[in-house]
Amino acid sequence: MRKVKQSWELVEDFMNGIEDPVEHIYRVLDSINRWESMVNAYISLESPDILIEKAEEISRRIRRGERVGRLVGLIVSVKDNICTSFLPTTAASKILDPYIPPYDATVVERLLREDAIIVGKTNLDEFAMGSTTELSSFGPTRNPWDLDRVPGGSSGGSAASLSYGGADLSLGSDTGGSARLPAAYTATVGLKPTYGLVSRYGLIPYGNSLEQISPMARSVKDVALLLDIIGGFDPLDATSLNVDSLNTFNSIKADARDLKICILKEMVEGADSPINSMFWKIIEKLESEGANIEYYSLPILSKALPTYYTIAFAEAASNLARYAGIFYPTKGSSSSWEEYIGESRFKGFGREVKRRIMLGVYALSEGYRDEYYVAATKVRRVIRDEIVKLTSKCIIASQVSPILPPRLGERIDDPLKLYYMDMYTVVANLAGVPALAQPIGFHGDLPIGIQWIGGPLEESKLISIGLLIEDITGLRGVIVD
Amino acid sequence: MKVMIGLEIHVQMSEAGSKLFCDCKANYRGMKPNTNVCPVCLGLPGALPVVNKRSIELALLAAVAFKCNIPRYIVFTRKHYFYPDLPKNYQISMYEKAGGIPICRGGYVKYLDVNSWEWRECRIRRINIEEDPGRTVYEEGGIVRSPYALVDYNRSGVPLLEVITEPDINSPREARTLVEYILLTLEYLGITNPRLEGVFRVDANISIEGGERVEVKNIGSTMDIEKALNYEIMRQAMIINSGSKVERETRHWDAEKGVTRPLRHKEYEEEYLYFPDPDLPPILISEDMVTKAKEIVLGFDITILYENILKLGVPRDIAWSIVTIKPSLDVYIKTVKLGADPLVAAKILGIDYKGELKERNMDLYEYNNWPPPETVYELVRLVVDKIYTYDTVKGLLIPKIAENPKVDVRSILPEKAENIEDIIDSVIREEEKAVKDYLSGKKQALNYLIGMVIRRVGKRAVDPRVIREALENKLSKLKSSM
Repeated sequence: MRKVKQSWELVEDFMNGIEDPVEHIYRVLDSINRWESMVNAYISLESPDILIEKAEEISRRIRRGERVGRLVGLIVSVKDNICTSFLPTTAASKILDPYIPPYDATVVERLLREDAIIVGKTNLDEFAMGSTTELSSFGPTRNPWDLDRVPGGSSGGSAASLSYGGADLSLGSDTGGSARLPAAYTATVGLKPTYGLVSRYGLIPYGNSLEQISPMARSVKDVALLLDIIGGFDPLDATSLNVDSLNTFNSIKADARDLKICILKEMVEGADSPINSMFWKIIEKLESEGANIEYYSLPILSKALPTYYTIAFAEAASNLARYAGIFYPTKGSSSSWEEYIGESRFKGFGREVKRRIMLGVYALSEGYRDEYYVAATKVRRVIRDEIVKLTSKCIIASQVSPILPPRLGERIDDPLKLYYMDMYTVVANLAGVPALAQPIGFHGDLPIGIQWIGGPLEESKLISIGLLIEDITGLRGVIVD
Repeated sequence: MKVMIGLEIHVQMSEAGSKLFCDCKANYRGMKPNTNVCPVCLGLPGALPVVNKRSIELALLAAVAFKCNIPRYIVFTRKHYFYPDLPKNYQISMYEKAGGIPICRGGYVKYLDVNSWEWRECRIRRINIEEDPGRTVYEEGGIVRSPYALVDYNRSGVPLLEVITEPDINSPREARTLVEYILLTLEYLGITNPRLEGVFRVDANISIEGGERVEVKNIGSTMDIEKALNYEIMRQAMIINSGSKVERETRHWDAEKGVTRPLRHKEYEEEYLYFPDPDLPPILISEDMVTKAKEIVLGFDITILYENILKLGVPRDIAWSIVTIKPSLDVYIKTVKLGADPLVAAKILGIDYKGELKERNMDLYEYNNWPPPETVYELVRLVVDKIYTYDTVKGLLIPKIAENPKVDVRSILPEKAENIEDIIDSVIREEEKAVKDYLSGKKQALNYLIGMVIRRVGKRAVDPRVIREALENKLSKLKSSM
């Protein structure tokens, strides 16, 4: 383990001439060269020549005193379900390989406007459907902390790229924990924003009503920096909240004595013991420093996982209908239209995607819709109301994952075991509230994280508490050596 | 024979400006294939729909005009089916179940049946706002034999109104009249231009003698509605007369052959996997919006407009003739406002000017083809003040105005009747032989006399009919005085 500068510090140092963006890009490229063949964090990488050229241009502009953006010279990796017009965007699915969108996602435009350098597109479970980044048609991503283990998913490529130094910042997406779970498994930080704070325009949808593009980084303050840039109203997304970008970057560290923390029985039960003990150690520490800890039970949360998966699968089945061999690269060969689309979908989709389409179609079918999809939306409303009510009083603390990063292959044969990994994270997606995952320690080489859930648009509160925890644990800017 | 017909009328909101969920144009006609497209209407991954407010306002006008129950919120629904011209393989539409809320439920249309001049009523079950799919073009051989299909997505995402009626219609003629009335209403409200190619399509459900209902799809003109339903009644009657039962099925109207055909595929239970589109939050229909819509609808209510003309003493067929052509009604109302005699103005606009445009194959619906109200006022004045006969105005002035609607009437005024009479008198005096011939029964001598008058009138505009009339008058007086 070693510590590196935070991204916001790098930007300051670039501006002060202490660091040079060109040297920096060489450093990052070195890490990529060293790790990428083992980790497989990226599906596509920008050519080094272009990256170096961009860094040189930025370096020149800084020296000339020209105006530069807030992410100047930072190397950002972007999950491959976020559209870029300059790199293929596959969502890790064969059905899209090698689709190059004719447009950039809103978040990508905002990154480029701030002079970020996009280094490549990171690996994920196909269409973000998974919790391990093994279900990619470009092969699994491995956890840089232990190459036999998974980095979590579905934003596993983003998390891995951060933890081995292959990027300074990363954009992931989080439908049911897809940014937070990999953050917890790689000692990085991931924040799932309030639903509607970050534009989804250009995010290849999995569960539209649940997901948000999520900033990922190696420190809480870096996550805040990225969030402020990608957040705020976008007229291209009808679900975008009509709010300006938040100013979370300037949040100050919370004082433990001001903290009101709620712990929900349903969100801490059932975790493996190393995770449990580390979690309680932090809570005790906060309590000893004056934090107010309260304990609740929300029995409805036992329905969170089935509710989440019913809604996500239904939306996914619908979203994926468009891949039928007309606009996208994987084609059928039959002259019958029905067979043609059947072939293209049979060839192009992986097994888990097919499973979710089938289940989603079932949940929406005439005669079953009320029992499944409609029922799930009703339970969701109850969960959302309960969580919003609770978070108006306190910040919820929970674990991120009930288990340590599993070994490759350990979880994917049994879908229920796979889905179980999301039991603590889906709650924030169902409720549409922000949630932050950050590291609190290691069990051997394996990182362990904690999750903070706030009320709608309370990202700043989460950043404040995150800064406090970083001070306690010292875990900021950590990378694998 | 008891006939029950219900209709689903799909009308493009061609006047909405942009497509339903993106900035591409709502009227794509005349564009090269696949040039009126963007990531949103091509359904590219990650692109998101954002509703065009104008479409909602226009749809609300229709919902108000048809006396619908209007919900506080509307919710768009995804309707799934695989088809090459549907880029997402789902259509963003509306549905009354599964959490969807359409813009209108339970309204009605009171429409004028111009065949019997009776008012009829048809209940509206629902109005949906939805996106039009693209267009599939088959090469020679059509859908069955064409070796390939071409798809043009210029139409994809164009806002549609789907008006679903209850089965309250009892004859093909009524069905046609109703559709014409609905289209006229939508035209008046500025929602659609019914004359654009492919701007509306009708599916009809028809059952006779309480038998199973048959759906006839793909009817593209109001004339074809009548034809397709007549064909279907005949076909179903033959089945019943032969002792069989009509089966529930979906048929396709083949306009070229004038027949309905069963669709190739066997019918199965429809499964559209409806659910509210998670990309489109519920849209508030505020009281303000409804109030505003009501005002607009009141101003363009064709029933009221028609009855207002009747009240001026205009016969119903002329009144209706004016109402069916919006530019003529606009000119008419303004002309009457200027103080013109309503009946003469109605006759000019509703019959003779319209007839002149038709004869010249000019577009009746093009505002520029109609004269300004001041011109019509002047024509009416000429008639009312007896400066010219109606026939002179009709025969001499109307064609000139149709030729150039902006022309100054004063510049084309024909020789006044008094002057002509002097000329006629002198011709009668001088052409003794021809007059004698005529009076002794040689009718063709009249043409000679007319020719002589015209020669003397010179290049000034005179209607030969006026001369003939005047000559005949004078000659007959001459005869009786002999």
